[in-house]
Amino acid sequence: MSQPAIAAGQSHSELPGPYPVGVYAARLKRRLLEFARVQLVGEVWGLRSSHARVYFELRDPVGALPCSMWLSDFERLGVTLADGVKVVIGGGCDYYPGSTSSSPSFTFAVSELRVAGEGDLLAELERLRRRLHADGLFERQKRLPRPGLPRTIGVVTGERGKARDDVLAGLRRRGWAGQLVWAFAPVQDRQAAPRIAAALRELAAIPEVEVVIVARGGGSLADLFAFCDEALCRTVALLRVPVISSVGHHTDRTLIDDVAAVCCSTPTHAAEAAVPIDCAAARAGLHQSARRLEHHSRRAITERARTLERLAAAPSHHIARQRRHLHQLLRELRATARRSLHDRRSRTATHLLVLGRATERARASERAARQRELHRLALALAAHDPERTLARGYALVEDRGGEALGSAQAARAARDVRLRFHDAKVDAEVR
Amino acid sequence: MSTNAPTYESAVARIEEIIRRLDSGEAGLRETLALVNEGRDLVELCAGELEAVSRGLEELRLDDLVARLEGAQR
Repeated sequence: MSQPAIAAGQSHSELPGPYPVGVYAARLKRRLLEFARVQLVGEVWGLRSSHARVYFELRDPVGALPCSMWLSDFERLGVTLADGVKVVIGGGCDYYPGSTSSSPSFTFAVSELRVAGEGDLLAELERLRRRLHADGLFERQKRLPRPGLPRTIGVVTGERGKARDDVLAGLRRRGWAGQLVWAFAPVQDRQAAPRIAAALRELAAIPEVEVVIVARGGGSLADLFAFCDEALCRTVALLRVPVISSVGHHTDRTLIDDVAAVCCSTPTHAAEAAVPIDCAAARAGLHQSARRLEHHSRRAITERARTLERLAAAPSHHIARQRRHLHQLLRELRATARRSLHDRRSRTATHLLVLGRATERARASERAARQRELHRLALALAAHDPERTLARGYALVEDRGGEALGSAQAARAARDVRLRFHDAKVDAEVR
Repeated sequence: MSTNAPTYESAVARIEEIIRRLDSGEAGLRETLALVNEGRDLVELCAGELEAVSRGLEELRLDDLVARLEGAQR
């Protein structure tokens, strides 16, 4: 450093300076660029890319370096990287000094990269997973009964993490407002696993706690490695209360997810899994059930009352029905009788009319016959009338009493006779 | 929680079973009244469970709770 920015003597420090930070940063960059370019070996973690560069950390159990590579160089390699992949990189140190408007950053600028094989961490993780599974620890939690509506829930999470808010949001979404016991613990550093295990044991020791949530937000798998600790996983597996885990993003799979009763993709979902019942919907459903029960109760009683009423009224209804039936029959009978009488009268009148006409015709005929007979008799009688004989010139001899004398002897006996001509009578004496 | 008391889920399941039986119309008067009484008791139990988680969120810290419990034991 050549010139201090501020005159010396105003500070009591024995160190040189102060120098402008930009000058120091530029010198640092030049010094770092002087470092020899080398090859490094380690595991890739936290791979991400921007429009121009890819970024990742190269890690091993004792240290790590932030690395970056031009995106075009990386794409030319045609390799697929994921967290835990062991790689060999070539390059050198670089430093961006920053400015008043941008942050400085150190990076190992990678110009070569090749995959070295499966990462040691992932291999160790898989071995541990197989061991826990063989010990039957994946199933124990899953066999525990989980309450649908727990009154007290324990939560293990970082005190300042976003997971805390997400758990509360999930519980609010369920309409749950019971007792929540927070057990705050580190969720990332080397001490995280034993602290989390201790918190779980203490929560399980509280009788009121019915279910426990273990939540942590997203991070690289290396950040989540505390949740792959064997002792922690064995603790979880043997707890008396069900544990619901939500560690990292949905693509991450830690060992605690395997041993927990339920594994969720987010803390919000973990909270919903801890309270499977939607309280608002449950209240509505319960209200509906209560109404239906009351409805059935009322209906059962009123229906029975109606049945009894119907049964009680049955005899009188029967009599009334029979009476109506009889009245109907009677009306029909009368109507039938009236119709029959009328028909008979009508037929009788017709007969009488026919008979009268026939009688009249018979009488007229008889009258004519009688008149004809009478006329004939009259004619016959007229033929025998003495008057007609007298008219022809004959005379009738009668006595004085008017009796006809038919013989000479009678005339001599009578002596005084009367001769009756057609025009007059003449007295005579027989001698 | 008492071990003899039905859980919320089992109580709700039984209520639904009761209502199905009542809806079927096959239950006589005596059975209907018995089912309705049983259903009312279960609805009351469930309402109590819901009430217990509706009184307002109570947040405790494990450390405070442990200290409180230890204090109560002394």
